[in-house]
Amino acid sequence: MDMRLGHTEASASDKVSFWPVYLCFMVFGVLIPFSRTDFTMTTMLLSLVVSLAVGVLNVNLLIMVFNSANADLRQADSHFARQSVSAGMLFMIPFTVLAVLALALLSWNAVMPFASAAIMTAAATAGAEVMKKGAQGVKNVLIPSALAFIFSTGWMMLVAVLP
Amino acid sequence: MENTVGQSEKPAWKAALNMMINPGEVVKNQMGKIPWPYSLLVSGLSFMLFFLQTGLDLLRSGQTEIAGVGLITLLGLLYGTAGVALMAVMVWALAQAGERNLTMGWAISSFALGYSATFVYALTGLVFSLAFGWKTAVAFGVTGVLWALRPTMFTIKQMSGERVAFSIAMTTVCGAILLAGWALLGKFGA
Repeated sequence: MDMRLGHTEASASDKVSFWPVYLCFMVFGVLIPFSRTDFTMTTMLLSLVVSLAVGVLNVNLLIMVFNSANADLRQADSHFARQSVSAGMLFMIPFTVLAVLALALLSWNAVMPFASAAIMTAAATAGAEVMKKGAQGVKNVLIPSALAFIFSTGWMMLVAVLP
Repeated sequence: MENTVGQSEKPAWKAALNMMINPGEVVKNQMGKIPWPYSLLVSGLSFMLFFLQTGLDLLRSGQTEIAGVGLITLLGLLYGTAGVALMAVMVWALAQAGERNLTMGWAISSFALGYSATFVYALTGLVFSLAFGWKTAVAFGVTGVLWALRPTMFTIKQMSGERVAFSIAMTTVCGAILLAGWALLGKFGA
């Protein structure tokens, strides 16, 4: 009977999926070079790699932060951080769609404001999800927001120096 | 016993400030106490200042005149009041929020107060525009509208009974309507 417990935990972890989040980062990676007056395929590929790297780092760092800051909650539910980050980061989707619309239909070359707002809103929402699961303290919103600000600033700077 | 009576009453301006930091808590617990005219004042002023910046940018690039700036500003006020109210009613109906005992007035108030961040960005942008002659409509105005998507999203989640896919879709639609309306206005004023 006890042998089923491990199987249940593995299933809970398997159900948490981050592909929509990474797809959003990749879409931004493709759109960002269009903000420049001239770019090459190399620029776009590098932008894609940088954006995906930012996404992977952001997601995993958020999970690590939530796990570290909420040890009690982690003992009760070891997957709370992954589930909360997955749910919260889904809210990058509206910003991603709006960025595509702004570029394609309105011919705006300002994609980074959308990307910055996306990453910061999604991180704060992930914090709100963690608090819904029983985490205490507004640190669960403030620390992710601060991290997201650092990531979005770093992303902006990396994009600026792309060849 | 009487001492506890006033403790739950928070000023409306604090709710507006909290809407920027912790919109989920405001939407869930405080919106019932915020009168919708106050909330519409916040969104009306936000869009009025946002569109004023657009008008000033167009004036500086020679695409419009002073009268045009005045007209665009008034349209912003209309957009931020009637436009936001209509959008709130549309989402209220689609989310069937009435079934969750959320009134149309609550929806309008919640949507409108979500533009508190837009107001801060618009005011800051206007200061830079007037003081330094910068073109601030995109940098400050659009950023302010994007920041309002988070409170909008929490409002829609509350109205729809925490339906994630619906909330994401409707938040996207609301954002698209606002940005498209602003873009059309820019062409109208030019």
